[in-house]
Amino acid sequence: MNIVLLGLSHKTAPVEVRERLAFNESRLPGALANLVDQVCVDEGVIVSTCNRVELIASAPAGIEKGIDRLQNFLCDFHELPLHSIHSHLYLHADSEAIKHLFRVASALDSMVVGESQILGQVKEAYRTAIEAGTVGRVLSQLMHRALSVAKRVRTETGVALHPVSISSVAVELANKIFGDLTEKTVMLVGAGDMAELAAQSLMQAGAHKLLIANRTAEKAANLAQQYNGGAISFAAFYETLPAVDIVICSTGAADYVIRPEETRRALKSRRKGPLLFIDISVPRNIDPGIANLDSTFLFDIDDLQGAVQSNLKEREREAQSAEVIIESETQSFMKHLRSLDIGPQVVEVKAILAQLALNELKRHRKRLGALNAEQESAITEILIPALVNKLSHPLIAHMRATARHEEPTDTLEELRKLIRID
Amino acid sequence: MKILWTMMLVGYALGVAQSIFSLTTDKRWLREIAFYGLLAAFTSHTVWLVWQGLSAKRCPIVGTQEMCAFLAFSLVLCYFIAYRWYRANALKAFILPIVFVLITIAALANSSTSNQPQDISQPLQKILFPAHAGLILLAYAAFFLSFGAGLMYIIQERELKQKRFGKIFYRLPSLETCDAISFKAIAAGFVLLTLGIAAGIAWSRARDGVFWHGQPLEIFVVIIWVIYLLMLQSRINAGWGGRTAALASIISFMLVIGSLIGVRYLGTLHVFG
Repeated sequence: MNIVLLGLSHKTAPVEVRERLAFNESRLPGALANLVDQVCVDEGVIVSTCNRVELIASAPAGIEKGIDRLQNFLCDFHELPLHSIHSHLYLHADSEAIKHLFRVASALDSMVVGESQILGQVKEAYRTAIEAGTVGRVLSQLMHRALSVAKRVRTETGVALHPVSISSVAVELANKIFGDLTEKTVMLVGAGDMAELAAQSLMQAGAHKLLIANRTAEKAANLAQQYNGGAISFAAFYETLPAVDIVICSTGAADYVIRPEETRRALKSRRKGPLLFIDISVPRNIDPGIANLDSTFLFDIDDLQGAVQSNLKEREREAQSAEVIIESETQSFMKHLRSLDIGPQVVEVKAILAQLALNELKRHRKRLGALNAEQESAITEILIPALVNKLSHPLIAHMRATARHEEPTDTLEELRKLIRID
Repeated sequence: MKILWTMMLVGYALGVAQSIFSLTTDKRWLREIAFYGLLAAFTSHTVWLVWQGLSAKRCPIVGTQEMCAFLAFSLVLCYFIAYRWYRANALKAFILPIVFVLITIAALANSSTSNQPQDISQPLQKILFPAHAGLILLAYAAFFLSFGAGLMYIIQERELKQKRFGKIFYRLPSLETCDAISFKAIAAGFVLLTLGIAAGIAWSRARDGVFWHGQPLEIFVVIIWVIYLLMLQSRINAGWGGRTAALASIISFMLVIGSLIGVRYLGTLHVFG
């Protein structure tokens, strides 16, 4: 029982190649049916995303034939000659294939380490393959294990812990200041795309109310309607400020539009907790002097990007402990797989039984008297193999049944011991 | 007895180690070990206090050993309450080391209670003395909680202002959580302190016939009571909070500690073992 994997990713292939080798969702079931030829490949799963294509298969006829089959299938399906894509492909077998799949599902091989999308995509690929009927005993266990390994990596290491996008860092900062956003009011000043995205993320994180201040009243009203918020005029900014907890600013102004002196005066009457300013505009629109006011926090685009960078580094550090998990999970799955593979044991059981029969034949040969060559060969080539098959059949059926459900190693050991007792 | 002390020392030591380690590496198995260690330690702690109280037939709050154990118990209780309400796990790093030190002192202290106040056996005083001492110790534990939360506020605020998003930043609770813990702890502590002082006055009246001895600790306690009253008043009425409030809760608690240390050199009636 062998597992083979063929793939390409953003690390090995440019987008021109990836887009040509991707599998369209609608064609995936057909492709899966096509992949499984029952000779070289008897089970198959295809993971196809914008960053990678992975073909995972169980190869009953051996690694080489399995890999050949995957290569030929990929070329035939996309009607491309092998030499044109060969340099972009990676080929893995058995433990390397398992390890690669575990790393992919755990988002360790992703462009942004620890991102959460890939797990869903792997799940989806598995579901599609189940529906197409191309998943059997081996791949179903492998895919299940890949999903549980990915979950283990996410919970036991920090690869997915800290945010790595500007708007999620803004939410994280708001959480670290306010804890609970449900009572908080967000004000969006100006309408830069990124600022809008950050405001949107804050609202999704549970913020109570969104106010929009814009130079043009019409634009403010439009945005307010879009996000179910309130529009205020630019002039009313300082008047409204005491009621606000988070200000996100991104206007096209060339100079500071929010200044410390006015802010200090506006906040004099304010009696509630801290105030968070996020300035996503370049050139900056909030005077850095704001940060010196008591209980006021200001972060500009560089601060947010700095947080993103340091969180990315942190994820890469955490990825090292994830690799340790992957390594041990790979070992344990390989062991499991070998124990499922009853082929060699079947041969052994039959050989032992055949040996017993031949020994007995030798012992009692004299009593059979003179036999001609034809009779002699009928005993050794027909009678004994038939007996061995008959006797071993229930044993093998039992082994198969156990192997299908659980770790069968113990049963097989027992059987071997029992058979050897003579 | 020995087994209870061993369990307390080992359990709290595990808790201290984990709360310090968790600032840099957060391992699940370490967290689980520390959790069960803490559970075992707190259970033994409770059993010891109950046993001590039953065998002496009074509230276990007399002498160095019992006072330290009782104060440590109140601190752990405060932590559990704060954790239950706010999931403020980081408080452990402030509270558990103190708990461990107190338990070590208690474990090493002579268990004889030679410093037992006179006349504690009289019925009325049997209630008033433990009420006085116990309530004030609980109040101090609550004030320590507000001190810890204030300290976390200051550290977290500095991390935010300096834009350092390191491990400490992620481990500490949010500013508003720190502020809320500090506020609630002060409010609870103030109520406990007021009741404790009232019990003390009643006890003094019953024993010596006077409300007030004019002793250093009595004066200190009144000053502390006034300070916490003012803090509470400005928080409730003027919506005071944030950095200055956090600093105030830190400084006030330092005064509490100062008064307890000072009284050892000045003290008369209020010398605890």
